[in-house]
Amino acid sequence: MLVKHKKSIWYEFYVIDIAKGLFITMRNMLFAPNVTIEYPEVRRNYSDRFRGMHYIKSVNGVENCTACMLCPTVCPAECIHIEAGERPDKEKYPVKFEVDLLRCCFCGMCEEACPKDAIKLSNIYEMSVSQRTVYDKSYLAEQRGNK
Amino acid sequence: MPKCIIDGREAEFKPGENIIEVAKRVGVEIPVFCYHPGLTVVAQCRMCAVEIEKNPKLQTACSTPAAEGMVVHTTTPKVVQNQKAIMEFLLINHPLDCPICDKSGECDLQDNSYKFGSPYSRYTEERRTYLDLDMGPVIKKNMNRCIHCTRCIRFGDEIAGIHEMVAVKRGNWTEITTLNSKELTTEYAGNYADICPTGSLTLKDFRFKKRSWFLKKTATVCEGCSRGCNIEVQEDGNTIYRCIARENLEVNKYWICDEGRFNYHYVHDSARVLEPATKGATAASLTSTTWEQGLEVARNVSAGKKVVFLVGSDLTLEEGQQILDFAKSKYTSAPVYHFGTPTVKTTQEDGEADPILKMKSKTSNLNGMEKLGIKPFDPSFTGAEVAIVFRGGRAKLPELKSMKRIGVGVFNLPQVESYEAILPSLSFVEKSGTIINFQGKEQKLKPAIRPLGQSKAIAEILMVWANGGKKA
Repeated sequence: MLVKHKKSIWYEFYVIDIAKGLFITMRNMLFAPNVTIEYPEVRRNYSDRFRGMHYIKSVNGVENCTACMLCPTVCPAECIHIEAGERPDKEKYPVKFEVDLLRCCFCGMCEEACPKDAIKLSNIYEMSVSQRTVYDKSYLAEQRGNK
Repeated sequence: MPKCIIDGREAEFKPGENIIEVAKRVGVEIPVFCYHPGLTVVAQCRMCAVEIEKNPKLQTACSTPAAEGMVVHTTTPKVVQNQKAIMEFLLINHPLDCPICDKSGECDLQDNSYKFGSPYSRYTEERRTYLDLDMGPVIKKNMNRCIHCTRCIRFGDEIAGIHEMVAVKRGNWTEITTLNSKELTTEYAGNYADICPTGSLTLKDFRFKKRSWFLKKTATVCEGCSRGCNIEVQEDGNTIYRCIARENLEVNKYWICDEGRFNYHYVHDSARVLEPATKGATAASLTSTTWEQGLEVARNVSAGKKVVFLVGSDLTLEEGQQILDFAKSKYTSAPVYHFGTPTVKTTQEDGEADPILKMKSKTSNLNGMEKLGIKPFDPSFTGAEVAIVFRGGRAKLPELKSMKRIGVGVFNLPQVESYEAILPSLSFVEKSGTIINFQGKEQKLKPAIRPLGQSKAIAEILMVWANGGKKA
């Protein structure tokens, strides 16, 4: 048996509910703080521990890397490729040091494994390009961070 | 057999065996630096000291023969304290070079320090450093890493038979060097790098090429001479990076010569023919082609002619038998001869080239070819128009000026420019098979890498050749 509940006219037209909803909307619109930022002009501050674009740390213009191959060993994505060589001022140095950014999963294990404090992940997060990006040693040797 | 007890495990031993060997058999590891089973015992690193009951002091396990009823403990606090102290002592002057050092990953000092040493160093003074002189084309020395185990000195004295490594100065400043700082002259110099427990002596050939933990290892047999030394081929990404000796007390003990160690280089030689190549009607030199055309040329050149088969004595028994069958069924009554070292044609002429390992026959399977009933090739032979030459990479090619030649196997381009056709086949690291050494010992080759380029097994080439290009 159907029961017909009698309701007042205020309820029949949802006037109170609409007023409540509008009040929340107006409150958020006028008084709540912004959650988005105007990206290219305004930039978010990331923590120093953020893991972005790689770079090879240099001291006095000489790269710290000794091509010990611990980072390609520990890399789960196998995105680092190193070839070792010898030169007069450094017993062992990387002749080739390539990071395939498309494979990289930015886990930061290379940074953790490095005994020479050479490979670092900087704060740079803008890495989109139009073709496959394998960065070579000359590109990575630019000092991109302050870690 | 007399028995002793090591760490509560009962161990049988032959009289005269030292505690390290007995312990190894029952699964107890005693750390060592200066002890090597192939060399005399000097007991100077003191790392292997163990506690023996009814003995007031620790005894070095390498120089103490096991005795009936002996009770040995290797993990008591006294022993552990000694191991910690020795490790700290050895690491005082050892540089923290592991990222640079080629030995890293297979280093006795690294392993033992990880297992038995302390992770902290109390040493604050400046470390001792040396100037290194060049030691010749094989070995690179880094004296800073040395722990003075004198394995290298003993190896030179006892195995290589040349006293060229010496220890000069005394105490802290002891330096291991060559006499009068000359270059190493022994042909077994690669073993210095193998037995060195640290990275003091490393191979120049392998320097910085690859870290040792990336290498995949395959146990196989050297094809450098008729001794058939047991070796381990180490590759990564289908490229061989080095060969090291494998223990076999009946053949090569623990050593290999430099010729065998660096023999693998021809596999990756840029001049190696890796595609079928033919000399067409117009072209004066060999040009690469497809397998169908290469085999077609080989068939046409040899069809209806008097053919002689030349089998390199560096091929395996299986390949020898396949060639014999092929010659019998396809080229009736064609003679089959083996070739290899021009001066050594039979096993009677073979002999030791030096008192250590090297043999006069520079091919591995001379004995096997004789067992298959193949006769040696006489260079004055002229009874054929076409010679089909099978070669595995080591055999020295005979001069065959009067005949048209077809090559099947491993060839370098300059050797074979006058050939009609080359069909590339596999070298000793790419195939499996059996070879018989000069002692009559059968040993197995195992493939370490996949076939390079378009090279194919001899069995496959002969099968397609015999079927005449018809679709099966």
